[in-house]
Amino acid sequence: MAGNKGRGRAAYTFNIEAVGFSRGEKLPDVALKPPPLFPDTDYKPVPVKTGEGEEYMLALKQELRETMKRMPYFIETPEEKQDIERYSKRYMKVYKEEWIPDWRRLPREMMPRKKCKKAGPKSKKAKDTTGKGTSFTNTADVLKKIEELEKRSDGEKSDEENEEKEGSKEKSKEGDDDEEDDAAEEEEYDEEEQEEENDYINSYFEDGDDFGADSDDNMDEATY
Amino acid sequence: MTQAEIKLCSLLLQEHFGEIVEKIGVHLIRTGSQPLRVIAHDTGTSLDQVKKALCVLIQHNLVIYQVHKRGVVEYEAQCSRVLRILRYPRYIYTAKTLYNDTGELIVEELLLNGKMTMSAVVKKVADRLTETMEDGKTMDYAEVANTFVRLADTHFVQRCPLVPAAENSDAGPPPPAPTLVINEKDMYLVPKLSLIGKGKRRRSSEEDATGEPKAKRPKHTPDNKEPIPDDGIYWQANLDRFHQHFRDQAIVSAVANRMDQTSSEIVRTMLRVSEITTPSSAPFTQPLSSNEIVRSLPVGYNISKQVLDQYLTLLADDPLEFVGKSGDSGGGMYVINLHKVLGSLATATLESVVQERFGSRCARIFRLVLQKKHLEQKQVEDFAMIPAKEAKDMLYKMLSENFISLQEIPKTPDHAPSRTFYLYTVNILSAARMLLHRCYKSIANLIERRQFETKENKRLLEKSQRVEAIIASMQATGAEEAQLQEIEEMITAPERQQLETLKRNVNKLDASEIQVDETIFLLESYIESTVKR
Repeated sequence: MAGNKGRGRAAYTFNIEAVGFSRGEKLPDVALKPPPLFPDTDYKPVPVKTGEGEEYMLALKQELRETMKRMPYFIETPEEKQDIERYSKRYMKVYKEEWIPDWRRLPREMMPRKKCKKAGPKSKKAKDTTGKGTSFTNTADVLKKIEELEKRSDGEKSDEENEEKEGSKEKSKEGDDDEEDDAAEEEEYDEEEQEEENDYINSYFEDGDDFGADSDDNMDEATY
Repeated sequence: MTQAEIKLCSLLLQEHFGEIVEKIGVHLIRTGSQPLRVIAHDTGTSLDQVKKALCVLIQHNLVIYQVHKRGVVEYEAQCSRVLRILRYPRYIYTAKTLYNDTGELIVEELLLNGKMTMSAVVKKVADRLTETMEDGKTMDYAEVANTFVRLADTHFVQRCPLVPAAENSDAGPPPPAPTLVINEKDMYLVPKLSLIGKGKRRRSSEEDATGEPKAKRPKHTPDNKEPIPDDGIYWQANLDRFHQHFRDQAIVSAVANRMDQTSSEIVRTMLRVSEITTPSSAPFTQPLSSNEIVRSLPVGYNISKQVLDQYLTLLADDPLEFVGKSGDSGGGMYVINLHKVLGSLATATLESVVQERFGSRCARIFRLVLQKKHLEQKQVEDFAMIPAKEAKDMLYKMLSENFISLQEIPKTPDHAPSRTFYLYTVNILSAARMLLHRCYKSIANLIERRQFETKENKRLLEKSQRVEAIIASMQATGAEEAQLQEIEEMITAPERQQLETLKRNVNKLDASEIQVDETIFLLESYIESTVKR
């Protein structure tokens, strides 16, 4: 092979005629750019099948997609505040049914800490934050809700007011969102241990039983 | 998981469950199983959101969890299960063809909710059916329950794994996660329920519009606690059973195309008889004697034993070997070679793809190589009776697109090209895998295109929705024809045209998605059955 080199003959290690080039024919240029993104197709695609079944399935598919958006499983991202509040937006809100998961089927850590309310000072804190949430970042809608809540929880809160200051600091916007629906389920998600999400290294190997004062509450949940 | 699959999963999750669930789901698909706090940390999502997303994913059977040592619970996404979302319309449609509207709604509710108790399904379906009926008529719970039992009997719905009944819980703290057990015996056992009642109509539409009472309602329900008889027994759609049904349908129609209606009816009967006795992954059906087949043929199908035997011999002699003869006892024992069938269907799919992409002459070369297994280039040119230069061109094109593969057989150990045989061959399995991958990619592209089209025309769509809402409310209050027309004219002619075009495009894209998924189903079944052997 090496003998061929430098003799003015292409240094191919195989018989070039086997690939379909006759002797002396010019080889095609080397392609230096990627193939086109949308290459021309030599053959046009056949049209999609149509028929009663196909049409029904199409309708089902589109309906299913719309229905899914209205199910409680569709978690919407919290919207950023818009500069101009659109009037029509108010009427476009979808009211979803509530969904209460069967906690018996889920790992214990899934369960929002709600039962703690009966015991432990920490939980009261969380409850109060709903009453006097300080981060009024959300829309007027939330404010209204908060006022409502305030009226409702007036009786209970008076003696716990000292604690609420720390509590409100820790509260993040998500927490706020959840609390705007005080109805049964949403509040369950209310997470008074927001601060823990940052130091996960410490709690990485804990299974949720070692949250100090909280450990009792965890037991409560299990029997729930 | 290939990138294409992950991409498709991401689009599907986003479209059906929103962006947060998508983020968590895709993260889990990429990384494998992970504990809760790691997910929250890695995705930069608040713990609360992660929990919600995981609840949704677990509810829909898209994520499973497992307790590891030291009590850490790890969550794992089921990628292939996520892709099944594409097939939901087909499952629902199948339920409709088999069990009418009631069956359709039962399966639809189960798919929409992931899992539900039987009583909840029955109530919901009865309510929905009542709403579509004329005034004064209602749907009985018992009737819906009846259909549900039939679905369970034919294994189209099955129980989810159960949480074992709590034993004495004094032994230390309870485990961090329940261990779900499945009892094979009870999988399709319907709990005894006395569901008496009728579907209710929603009283008025105003209640709905304000939304206020609706939000309040759940609060009241816990008060009037009525004991739920089937509490904790959840049901889900049995997708494997649906797949088995799809496969059987494909086999029947393949036989009908190859031979005739009668033989397809015979094959259908054989499949129906062995439906429950044969596991869905078995390579063969249970052997059936021709006597048994004669007895099980549908009434009104008058085939004498003699004719049937002739048909069976014909089917068994067919080179595709869909039906095989496994013995002579009982007038001849016959089986259906499911593995062979899937192989033939996958090969036919490949052939037709080659034909549509590269033309009929390429398809000729492709079939030739398929038939002769291994061919040298020179032989391809000769056998295909296509001029050498063109044949080479086509062969290389298919080689570069991975439909055909190349096998080197060196005569000497130095692999010198001049002393090596180059054999062209079709590796059906790898070609099917390649095509499957392409299908995932195509569907992802179709979805993205559809989303793009909708986004481009968002303003127009919103406008038409508003106008429709106004018209509907005016009609309800009894407005005049002229007024309605005036409102209708708020959408100009060009806008109307644009909407039409959009609708047509979206419909086409959606229909294509469904049909590409049919190909995916065939290829997946083939790959699954081949790899298992």
